[in-house]
Amino acid sequence: MRPYIKTIFIFALFLALARPAFSQDISELTAQCAASAGDVTYLKDFPAKLDAGTPGGKPPSAKYSMLLSKNTAYRFTICTAPDSEGEAILDLYDMNILIGSTYNKATGKDYPSFDFKCQKTAVYHIFVSFKEGKAGNAVGIMSFVEKL
Amino acid sequence: MVRNYLYILTGVLFLYACGSCGNKGASGTNGLNDIPDDVVNLGIAEISEEAMQGFVDNMSSPVEMAALIKSLNVGYSNKYLAPTDKIEDYTTNFQQAFSLGVYGLDLGYLNMYNKTNTVLDYISAIKTLADAINVGQFFDFTTLKRLAQNNQNLDSLMYISVHSFNQMDNYLRKTNRSNLSVLIVTGLWLEGNYLATQVYKEAPHPALKERIGEQKIIIEKLMIFLQNFKSDKQFQNLISELSSLQEEYKNVSITIELGEPEAVEKDGMLTFIQHDKSIVNISDETVQRITQKTEDIRNKLIRK
Repeated sequence: MRPYIKTIFIFALFLALARPAFSQDISELTAQCAASAGDVTYLKDFPAKLDAGTPGGKPPSAKYSMLLSKNTAYRFTICTAPDSEGEAILDLYDMNILIGSTYNKATGKDYPSFDFKCQKTAVYHIFVSFKEGKAGNAVGIMSFVEKL
Repeated sequence: MVRNYLYILTGVLFLYACGSCGNKGASGTNGLNDIPDDVVNLGIAEISEEAMQGFVDNMSSPVEMAALIKSLNVGYSNKYLAPTDKIEDYTTNFQQAFSLGVYGLDLGYLNMYNKTNTVLDYISAIKTLADAINVGQFFDFTTLKRLAQNNQNLDSLMYISVHSFNQMDNYLRKTNRSNLSVLIVTGLWLEGNYLATQVYKEAPHPALKERIGEQKIIIEKLMIFLQNFKSDKQFQNLISELSSLQEEYKNVSITIELGEPEAVEKDGMLTFIQHDKSIVNISDETVQRITQKTEDIRNKLIRK
């Protein structure tokens, strides 16, 4: 009886402590990431907590659809959580065409953020994924930079 | 000894059940208790999670609308704002969610012009309405009030305001209350269109005219989401009103000029410049009709 109760006790304690800690971490990461974007105004955040992909398969990703307006400069920033296994990438698509990314595949260079000077009011798609399809935890931020 | 464990276990399980008591239900309770059944059930019955995943965010950004107006050197005026003194007249969740969006847009406008004295009335109104639809836990009223009263750290004021709305919206969708989420977005959008058209009457800048015309894209998307809830009488009325406004947008045409995007790296900062370009064709007469229609619908829906 006693070992059984002890196991339940430890499990329940783990659950009680783990759940609020996770939401707090994401909230802190979002605030830190928004602050790291620079002298811009926060608009949206894109949290992504993903499992690892299957070998040879497409890396899992979190998708968000945003309406972006003409004559506006936006900044997209990506922040990988300290405990994340994979390193996060944020990609911006217009329909199915990649028009911006925090990762340059050709050079292997990462950028913490990029600006996008929008000239066409339309719905765009943001994908957050992790390099090599690893599991990971990250948040992307979209900020307003200026009217063009 | 076993009894002691059981006492502790009960306490721990209570803590777990409470979950996020520290942040008043942000991740634990769905907070549906005070909402009339017809409204809550409507959200669950009418739209699937899958459909809402196709939802488009940022359809009406208070920050972007206010920044556009400010960039045209148009001065601040409180005559564009929805009054906050009749807040108790919003008695249904439908009215509360819609007006939450309206005041959210006004708050963005006030923040952009640093009108911290007036901001207090609006954050109080928003807190009241957010509590009424059980999302008040995401609106950090105390911090916002302190920042506004001290007229300090305006970046934080802006961040917390916008982030609070994002959290409320996410939470409503997660708890199958997308009907209220769509109403907030509709309130934001209609008030944004009202602000743009009213300012245009006094400062007819081409950029503002173009922005008014671009709303054709947004009203089309908004109507699709509103249609999901058309079995509700209040939604039916709103759809009917907005359909007459959408009708006016049939006279607006938007064409796209294609171009190759360009990437520029300067001082370590990467910038992508789009060379596709949207061109809006809208006549002065159409702007006038849209202005009048927007004003009529908005004034019918808010309490003055």
